[in-house]
Amino acid sequence: MLGVGDYLWRLLPANPILLRVVETGGKRKRDLAIRCAYLGLLVFFVIFSLLTQRAADTSSLTDLSNASRAIFRSMSYLQLGLVSLLAPIFTAGAITQEKDSQTYDILLATPLSNAQILLGSLLSRLFFVIALLVSGIPIFSVTQIFGGVAIGSIVLSCAIAASTALITGALAMAIATFKVGTRRTIFSFYLFIVIYLVGGYLLDLLPYFQIAGPKTAGGQTSHISWFTGIHPFLALRVALGDAQYQPPDMGILPEHLRYWPVNWYLTNPSSFYITATSVFSLLLIVPSILLLRRLAQSTNSFRGWILQKLHIVKGDRTRKPRNVWYNPIAWREAKTKASAARASFLRWAFIIAGSVGALVMVIMFATPAALPAKYIMPGGFNAVARTLFINGDTTYGVPENVQVLRIGKDGPQPGDLNMLGGRYEVAQFDTQLTRKGIKELKSITLGPIPRRLSADDARNGLLGAVILEFAVILLIVTNAAASTVTREKEDGSLDLLLTTPITSRYYIWGKLRGLVSFVLPLVAVPVASVTIFVMYDLMRIAGGSDPTFQWIVFPEAILIMPPTLVIVAAFASILGMQMSLRCRTTVRAVMSSVGIVAGISAVLVGCGQGLLGTGGRGGNELQLALAGFSPFTLVALLINPYTLSPQTFTNGYGGDPNGARMFMVVSGFAATAAYAAVVWTMYKSMVKNFDMTIRRQSR
Amino acid sequence: MTVIKTVSLTKRYGTLVALSNLNLEINEGDCFGFIGPNGAGKTTTIKILATLLQPTWGEARICDLVVGYQSRQIRPLIGFVPDYFGAYEDMVVQEYLEFFAAAYNINGPARAKIVNDVLELTDLGYKRDALVDGLSRGMKQRLSIARVLVHDPKLLLLDEPAGNLDPRARIEMRELLKELRRMGKTILISSHILPELADLCNKVGIIERGELLYSGPVADILRRAKTGTILHVGVSSNQEQAAALLSQDPNIEHVSANNGYIEISLKDDVKDWSFVPAKLVQGGFRLTLLKEEEVNLETAFMRLTKGLVQ
Repeated sequence: MLGVGDYLWRLLPANPILLRVVETGGKRKRDLAIRCAYLGLLVFFVIFSLLTQRAADTSSLTDLSNASRAIFRSMSYLQLGLVSLLAPIFTAGAITQEKDSQTYDILLATPLSNAQILLGSLLSRLFFVIALLVSGIPIFSVTQIFGGVAIGSIVLSCAIAASTALITGALAMAIATFKVGTRRTIFSFYLFIVIYLVGGYLLDLLPYFQIAGPKTAGGQTSHISWFTGIHPFLALRVALGDAQYQPPDMGILPEHLRYWPVNWYLTNPSSFYITATSVFSLLLIVPSILLLRRLAQSTNSFRGWILQKLHIVKGDRTRKPRNVWYNPIAWREAKTKASAARASFLRWAFIIAGSVGALVMVIMFATPAALPAKYIMPGGFNAVARTLFINGDTTYGVPENVQVLRIGKDGPQPGDLNMLGGRYEVAQFDTQLTRKGIKELKSITLGPIPRRLSADDARNGLLGAVILEFAVILLIVTNAAASTVTREKEDGSLDLLLTTPITSRYYIWGKLRGLVSFVLPLVAVPVASVTIFVMYDLMRIAGGSDPTFQWIVFPEAILIMPPTLVIVAAFASILGMQMSLRCRTTVRAVMSSVGIVAGISAVLVGCGQGLLGTGGRGGNELQLALAGFSPFTLVALLINPYTLSPQTFTNGYGGDPNGARMFMVVSGFAATAAYAAVVWTMYKSMVKNFDMTIRRQSR
Repeated sequence: MTVIKTVSLTKRYGTLVALSNLNLEINEGDCFGFIGPNGAGKTTTIKILATLLQPTWGEARICDLVVGYQSRQIRPLIGFVPDYFGAYEDMVVQEYLEFFAAAYNINGPARAKIVNDVLELTDLGYKRDALVDGLSRGMKQRLSIARVLVHDPKLLLLDEPAGNLDPRARIEMRELLKELRRMGKTILISSHILPELADLCNKVGIIERGELLYSGPVADILRRAKTGTILHVGVSSNQEQAAALLSQDPNIEHVSANNGYIEISLKDDVKDWSFVPAKLVQGGFRLTLLKEEEVNLETAFMRLTKGLVQ
């Protein structure tokens, strides 16, 4: 009994790895500054919220408790956001730090057990995040003063944040133990978490993934989707009682979803998230503990083994040499990055996923959900004999004065005779008998045949995919650029290059050219997605005259998007390189570059949205032109103009779509030229300061 | 022709003086061994000559071109091998050499020919398809030498090229450097393996705490380090009696018997030590060993330096 107690005591409270961090961690000025900033942000948020509530003349206790609940909700999101941001930063270092600092082998040679080493490392990395969570509890408790927040909600909110931190840490430790990661994996780890959080949130919005049918006890349609129970922010929305995320009661779930654990997953996503992440963390930690020393002894990494099995890399250490370009710097940036097995694999995965996603959307858009009872098809209307064959009915005569109506967003609108040559659902029709006793149409109301993916959903889906791809491209190129000079500083290869006749202009231009070449195939993915839709639209135009035809994507997008994406990628590259030149370590350069690029993107998106919002109809032509200088807004306008600028781009509202389109084309090219000028200026300044910056850092 | 000339070369890092008034002159075809304890200023000197660092004071010239002002013209003339291997992931040996050949603006068929020649010279031809990352330390060092040969430089700056190499790799490296010397390259090499420097170099420089203590031919320093004649004598038996006999001789300063032989220090003015074996034979002792102690570079280094570090 004493042995078990002693083991457990040495496992956690007296774990030397954990103790070292706990004892020294609290004394670091940097940690203190982050903790103060976090708590300061929470305190400021509470005070600001209370003051604004007071300004709104909130006096009754009910209003105060409501205000308190609102503050608590916002704080919970803030807390989870910070944990999601900080936990990967603190835990990702585990992937390589032990190897980098060469203490790993020393630890393995001590009598410490596998469990002590792994749990010590895991908890020491999570210590800072846990300390932040715990230090925030008193501020959370302030919301208790006015009531309205159950202690259970506070516990649930903290539990979701803690389990998110735990799964992040467990994942990093498993990657380290199974030797799946390299130094570059740290960035992939962040990227995966960002894509998971953003992508999961976006996918949750698509009706396709929502659980059709169930309503809450209050009769509201539940917004719960298949992603709610595995996404921390969505699980938190449920835990905080968000009106849109009221989980359905078990009794109103469809019959086929009532078995365990699906019913638990759907009816109580918050508790499922906490339990599932904890269990999954355990599933990652236990094998890591069991195999820690065994895997450390193996000469081949798990990743290497997998790549060999997939025939992505060969086991041997040779390869046929490739041809080196005249500019070796550009060659190295473009080729050695691209051909690295993992990068190549990820690139192809990105390209295939993007292309397949666009194709699936086009196919879903092209396919009718189900054929209606009565519909007309091209070829059904005989203009010479003046007859129309209605599928599901029979053939009718078509007089000159037949009344054709089409169902639009605002009910039936007058249509024209040409529509009879198209593909429509026949919503209603009236007939009359001619003197010759032939049945002919008196009026006919046509509506679009419902598609598996509506035009609006297709635009939203395509926009989501392109924006996500664009964001990923920017992250990849920023990371590659930010690590490009620092990596050479760290491994000493920069010194070798500086002793060659390569000039700073040649070096930086080579890097920039190589980075853009590296990213070009990635940029082709969103452009190809858009092209697929434009091609399909052109086929629709060629297939028949449809007066209600609307482009899914304006064809000019094919012209504007490639230079825009390339020049923005070049901008991210040069910015990343600037930071790479200034910073001594890769991690610092990557962090600061990604932060700056994300900040600039957010500001530009905010400006773009602001400009479109102020016009009342989604921006006048000038505002549209200015909004085009925000790359994300420009892409969004090209793909989904009807949502972002509805009055300008929708016929019948007095807008001038063609004029606005022209403005957008001009603005798109002007923005590209402006970004090119900025990139050129930054490039020239970098060339000028290169020698001075590098030599200042030389020691 | 003078290839390297430094005048009052000084480098400070804040308050730390890494180099102090270094005056150095190395001629074409010289192989100059740069010796000194860790932190003495060897790497700083080499980095200044390799155009990687700016001196705080003084001047360094390579082939009469001033470092810092004419660095662009200097770079094609030098080949720098640092004390680490500048690794490039995912490159094979041939690509690595072609990469640097392209950096020296060697393109087209000339590049392929030079790379082949260099691979042959460094005996790395059979490794042309091997990933650089997977090479052994000795191979990497040879590849470093191959790298600096692709543009056929006049001057090689080698910082610890044999550090951490196993004995075979070290011997192979030494032979390669001898071959380069025969080809007429001027070499500045820093190393802690002094016997090999003595074998390889015609000149050495000893530096300590940033100050050059000696610079000149190897033979000179050995002569200078030699303070007197020491003989090691072995006799078949009665070692103590033989020592006692020799200690009575007025030409002998000191005699000590240890480790199976007798160590004899002659007085400074005594150059002819033929009386020693004669006296022992006359005394009835049978000689098994008679050898004058050699002054090597290690001895010279120990005598000249004080073991001071920065």
